[in-house]
Amino acid sequence: MSPCKSPKESLVQIGAPAAPAYWKSVDELQSGVKQTGEFPGGLPAGGRGEATRRDFLALMGFSLAAAGLSGCRAPVQHAMPLLIGSEQIIPGVANFYATTCRGCASSCSLLVKQRDGRPIKIEGNAQSAIFGGGTCATGQATVLSLYDDERLRSPLWQGQTAKWEEIDRHVAEALQEAAGGKREIVLLSGTVTSPSTRAIIAEWHARYPRFRHVEYDAVSLSAIRTANESSFGHAVVPHYSFDKARVIVGLEADFLGTWLSPVEFARQYAANRKPEGSPSLHVQFESGMSVTGSNADVRVAVPPSQIGLVAVALLHRIARKAGTGEVPESGSAVDAKKLDAVADELWKHRGESLVVSGVNDVHVQTVVNALNAALGNIGKTVDLAHPSLQRSVNDQSMAELVDKMNRGEVHTLMLHGVNPAYDYHQADQFSAGLKKTALVVSLSDRRDETSSQAHAICPDHHFLEAWGDAEPVESHFSLAQPLIAPLFETRSAQESMLKWLAHDETDYYKYLRAFWQKDLFPRQKEIKSFDDFWDQSLQSGVVDLPAKTAAAVLPKFHGDVKAAADSIMAGSAQAHTGGDSYEVHFYESVPLRDGRHANNPWLLELPDPVTKVTWGNYAAVAPALLKKLGMSDGDVRRLKTESGQLELPVFTQPGQDPHTVSVALGYGRRQVGRAGQNVGVNAFPLTHQEQGGRRYSVAKVALEKTGRSEKLATTQTHFSMEGRPIVLETTLEELNHEPAESHEALPTLWEDRLHGEHAWGMAVDMNSCTGCSACVVACQAENNVPVVGKDQIERIRIMHWIRIDRYYSGPEEDPVSVHQPMMCQHCQNAPCETVCPVVATTTSSEGLNQQVYNRCIGTRYCANNCPYKVRRFNWYNYTDNPKFDFNMESPLGRMVLNPDVVVRSRGVMEKCSLCVQRIQLAKNMALQGGRQIADGEIQTACQQSCPTQAIVFGDLKDPNSRVSQLQRNRRSYQVLEDLGTRPNVGYLKKVRNPLETT
Amino acid sequence: MSTSTTVRVNGKTAPATGSGVMPQVLPPTFWVDGNPTFRQITDDIAQPMEGRPGKGWWICFGIAFLALLNLGGMVTYLIAKGIGVWGLNNSVGWAFDITNFVFWVGIGHAGTLISAILLLFRQQWRTSINRSAEAMTIFAVMCAGLFPAIHMGRPWDAFFIFPYFPNQRGPLWVNFRSPLVWDVFAISTYLTISLVFWYLGMVPDLATLRDRATGKIKKFIFGTLSLGWNGSHRTWARYEIVSLVLAGLATPLVLSVHSIVSMDFATSLLPGWHTTIFPPYFVAGAIYSGFGMVLTLLIITRSTMNLQRYITLRHLDKMAKVTMLTGMIVSYAYLTEFFGAWYGGNLYERYHFINRATGPYAWCFYLMVLCNVITPQLLWTRKARTSVVFLFIVSIMVNIGMWFERFVIIVVSLHRAFLPSGWGMFYPTIVDVGVLVGSFGLFFTCFLLFIRVLPMIAMWEIKGVMGHGAHKMALSADDPEKVTVNV
Repeated sequence: MSPCKSPKESLVQIGAPAAPAYWKSVDELQSGVKQTGEFPGGLPAGGRGEATRRDFLALMGFSLAAAGLSGCRAPVQHAMPLLIGSEQIIPGVANFYATTCRGCASSCSLLVKQRDGRPIKIEGNAQSAIFGGGTCATGQATVLSLYDDERLRSPLWQGQTAKWEEIDRHVAEALQEAAGGKREIVLLSGTVTSPSTRAIIAEWHARYPRFRHVEYDAVSLSAIRTANESSFGHAVVPHYSFDKARVIVGLEADFLGTWLSPVEFARQYAANRKPEGSPSLHVQFESGMSVTGSNADVRVAVPPSQIGLVAVALLHRIARKAGTGEVPESGSAVDAKKLDAVADELWKHRGESLVVSGVNDVHVQTVVNALNAALGNIGKTVDLAHPSLQRSVNDQSMAELVDKMNRGEVHTLMLHGVNPAYDYHQADQFSAGLKKTALVVSLSDRRDETSSQAHAICPDHHFLEAWGDAEPVESHFSLAQPLIAPLFETRSAQESMLKWLAHDETDYYKYLRAFWQKDLFPRQKEIKSFDDFWDQSLQSGVVDLPAKTAAAVLPKFHGDVKAAADSIMAGSAQAHTGGDSYEVHFYESVPLRDGRHANNPWLLELPDPVTKVTWGNYAAVAPALLKKLGMSDGDVRRLKTESGQLELPVFTQPGQDPHTVSVALGYGRRQVGRAGQNVGVNAFPLTHQEQGGRRYSVAKVALEKTGRSEKLATTQTHFSMEGRPIVLETTLEELNHEPAESHEALPTLWEDRLHGEHAWGMAVDMNSCTGCSACVVACQAENNVPVVGKDQIERIRIMHWIRIDRYYSGPEEDPVSVHQPMMCQHCQNAPCETVCPVVATTTSSEGLNQQVYNRCIGTRYCANNCPYKVRRFNWYNYTDNPKFDFNMESPLGRMVLNPDVVVRSRGVMEKCSLCVQRIQLAKNMALQGGRQIADGEIQTACQQSCPTQAIVFGDLKDPNSRVSQLQRNRRSYQVLEDLGTRPNVGYLKKVRNPLETT
Repeated sequence: MSTSTTVRVNGKTAPATGSGVMPQVLPPTFWVDGNPTFRQITDDIAQPMEGRPGKGWWICFGIAFLALLNLGGMVTYLIAKGIGVWGLNNSVGWAFDITNFVFWVGIGHAGTLISAILLLFRQQWRTSINRSAEAMTIFAVMCAGLFPAIHMGRPWDAFFIFPYFPNQRGPLWVNFRSPLVWDVFAISTYLTISLVFWYLGMVPDLATLRDRATGKIKKFIFGTLSLGWNGSHRTWARYEIVSLVLAGLATPLVLSVHSIVSMDFATSLLPGWHTTIFPPYFVAGAIYSGFGMVLTLLIITRSTMNLQRYITLRHLDKMAKVTMLTGMIVSYAYLTEFFGAWYGGNLYERYHFINRATGPYAWCFYLMVLCNVITPQLLWTRKARTSVVFLFIVSIMVNIGMWFERFVIIVVSLHRAFLPSGWGMFYPTIVDVGVLVGSFGLFFTCFLLFIRVLPMIAMWEIKGVMGHGAHKMALSADDPEKVTVNV
């Protein structure tokens, strides 16, 4: 028998009535005499059991002291264990809340992952009819801005920490003074897409007759509104439909990267370019290589001064075909045959084409309007009746405001979401105007170039802490709800404005609800109770209401084309450059946009989708110009215009117009925070205002030598595929004429590895990927990928698990480009696996190539043997290391970390895991539910963020899964298939749709 | 010296004296100059251990020791901060670290070759150089062993690569498919056999030293180390057999170690690494570099330790010949690689070899060609092979060339592999260079200590090849091929 005690003896059951007999000493056990009483054997002091006088006094003294001390105990603090938690927060289980992005004015609908009370991951809200489930890189990164150390922790008055009441008092006094005087009260904000905020602003208008609301965008589309007003009588930015266009002509409009509503447009664009259907033709005329241009079927490089001429030339051809009016031939430098062919295609697809231009010139926009009108696109691909509200700025009003400020006509200025001291072209004048303003209140979340000059900074919440709403496109609403209690003593801008208005309702949440009840709820009929309507709206995040106005009558075009064309031609002739004089084109870069997120290390480290440069801007020049001026990459040149100069390193950009230098805006912030301060050069001062619109190009620029040279931190240095089977391409015609290829895999001597229940795989559609790089930041957020900084990137040590390779083919003056997302290919015959001496990387039975961090000793042999070069080594400790002073160094920044993914230590290899934590979660959920995992239930972070759905993940064992179907597609192939690595990640060939010129 | 007649030892015919009849036996080649007595040999060889070291030794030791201290500092810094202090990156995961490793393993080849293979082939000239060559082997393998340990991201977990069972990690073993594990076996075996061979070869000499020792401590140490050697015939007979058996065991190792090291590369799929000719090519290269290093060391020691009598120009000549031969094998391998790339038609491999000859690291390639292909060709003339200064320069060139060969193979292959998006350059940092210099410090410190505390020439073996007739002969130091016979 077992020598062990019986379970009854050995186990003491808590709460069980019959306790075993305990003995106190060996004597007791042996003698069986149970000693009881408090002091068995008597008190030690007495000896005879009697208290002496000495004992009596001692006991008395103790009792007195004890009685006295009991009165001065520390306050009792009861710690309570969690027995029944909050209904909403279960430790370890994530919640998703719908909200609205305020990363830019596009106002995309989001679904934010909240884990243990912290928002940690941004995802797109698939319920949004406009934006879908995708996001952009900026949107993905906004969650990190919430945990930015540079955010103000309390309001400031004259640079000193202050109480809200104190500031409110100062503001109230100032407003009272202003109301009595002749000077204006001005709210200067970016485009306001929030209808409830617009309602608050309306109340200000009603209260203060001298209140003005000025909207100002650093990168403005004001000319579109102005032109639409003169052309159609509507001062709006239309809502474009790229999905309905069979032919798309872009004129310096980076609609897939940064222009107006890139997530929405990328989604529409990709949906319309599936080779399985009949893909659209996309022609792009632009000076620098944009993300959009790199995706175009036909891309023509033209200097900024010629973009208008191209528009006129196209209109000339269309007008001739339509037989309406006489438009002069513009004489643009573009090959006439090409223009003929484009015009033919446009004409062939009347009513199914779209011409868009990002040039902020009323005349160009008027010609574009004329083109869309002549092609019958108005009301079809260009919707003026339900316009986009994502840009509602008039540049003229900002210019007027600066004048007024300098004339001393502004008493109180409130700044919300703007930073003109950095991004206004006449920032000095603006700053001078600030000094003549009695009270300047900034609602900025940090000390920046503008707010540091303000009297008071009243920090707004981060949008993940705030209530809100938005109406990005008319009648399409999106609600915002907080995901976390405010981290600091901040206050929402709306609440501040309500407080200062001395409104009855100063709680913005209540105001918002009331506003929705009053204004939006009645516009729908389905839901009877407002509470239900509110709850449903809040839950789904998006509400599409019937349009306010029926668009019965299509507006007629009545713009003055003749005048516009004349003006364009005159302007172009004036800008004509030759010799050593060049044009400069300023653009928003995908990572930093207009510079408002300049302290976000994820964005700073995001490679530009086209140039792959991180941490800084540069002067992009054509290879021909580089040769002509005898420059090499990194040489610093002085760009000298009439209004100022910039010193920037040059960078070769194939496809760049040879007379144009492109410079990204948004860099060179002086005051933004540790990460982004003084990264790059501020190019805004070189922009200018002309004919009432801000211009983002300038002619007659000299490129002077400085003799200096700077290192640019690029993540990809070689841009040719060297004829290797990496990105496979075909043309639409070839694809349609070829029979469906049967894929025969190369023979292998290895046994089949996939004996699990599933075989996880991925398909990446090269035809859908635009290179927007949202997936890169999404992966960084999901998988706790560290930021390593400029120096480490120069040393080729970027940690991104997914990168987007960009290759060029063809001549360097007119290259064809492709974007290829590249992550671990999860090979079945993985070369990394065989060489690891300690079995730290293995292939699972479900086809995942797994990295075992605990076992890894860091020989880097796996990375050397990986043909795809997707493995990332931790060269240093990137967390908690003062050398890498990014989010992982700060306790606040570390709050963004995903608790489901381990933070890797120094000396181990890491790489894409196909979001194994998401797979595991779905498997657990399926197990608990006693069901199978449904196809599409697991979405990897990259897939989820992709606005074009270029990435599909799923089970290859399920023949009906989307990924299986895609991998059986005749376009399917694997990168470097001939190596026999058998990747589980497949790609779909890029299909070109070349324009035929006769 | 009275009358003397010149005999061409290696000549085809022509006996020196008279009759015109073909001699039955060619006069033996003698490997010690000056016809010293056995006693004198012992005195000469024991002198560096018994006397005070000269200025030359102190200077060399000072420099080497400084370099060793530098190694200590660099490795401490490396382990404290992380591998990031090297110039490695995501494209080039190995550079100086594994280059140094392969370089030192290669150096370690000459020792066993000289003592084992040349013993089996009864090459008597090996007797003067085998001891120091074996010592060199051991120190070189020590240097080599340093690099796999410190090149790891987490060197404190380096023991993971040894198979140990039972362990707390359950049935967790090393990956027997990984060439890095084969390396562990190959190199530890090689080090063990080399150590045993070296030590056993020293036993009779240790006994001699024991007998000569004056101090108590010395006597005790040498007495212990000489394992009770008594010099009896039986001892000698058994000793010879053990030597032969060990030589037989060590011989395959000479070929296996570098073959296995080459498989680190050959079994990968990287263009420039993935090639079947690597094992013989690496072995030839290893012997080539090993002989280069033996030449360097012996040229220095024979002059600083006054051992010209024992390490003669004829020895240098022999070694130069081996160097030339292996250099030519290596050159042939280089050619074969290019031919294979061209003839094989593999896109990636073809690009790799174009890049090797024309890419950003082309200068390394041409330096390698200069040192390893052109330099050995200069050794065709006897004059070159017997010029000490010239040979010294050649030996240094060989060392440089072989280091760059490994650098070219490792870095040039890695820096432009399959996907052009992952291409990048490697630039060494001060720590890369510091560790390389430091490894030389470790090597030379060990070697300089060795020549001070142990007999760097095998006394008993030298005495064995002197032959009985040697007393009658005086050897000309000028012309190794000419033997002057005293009449």
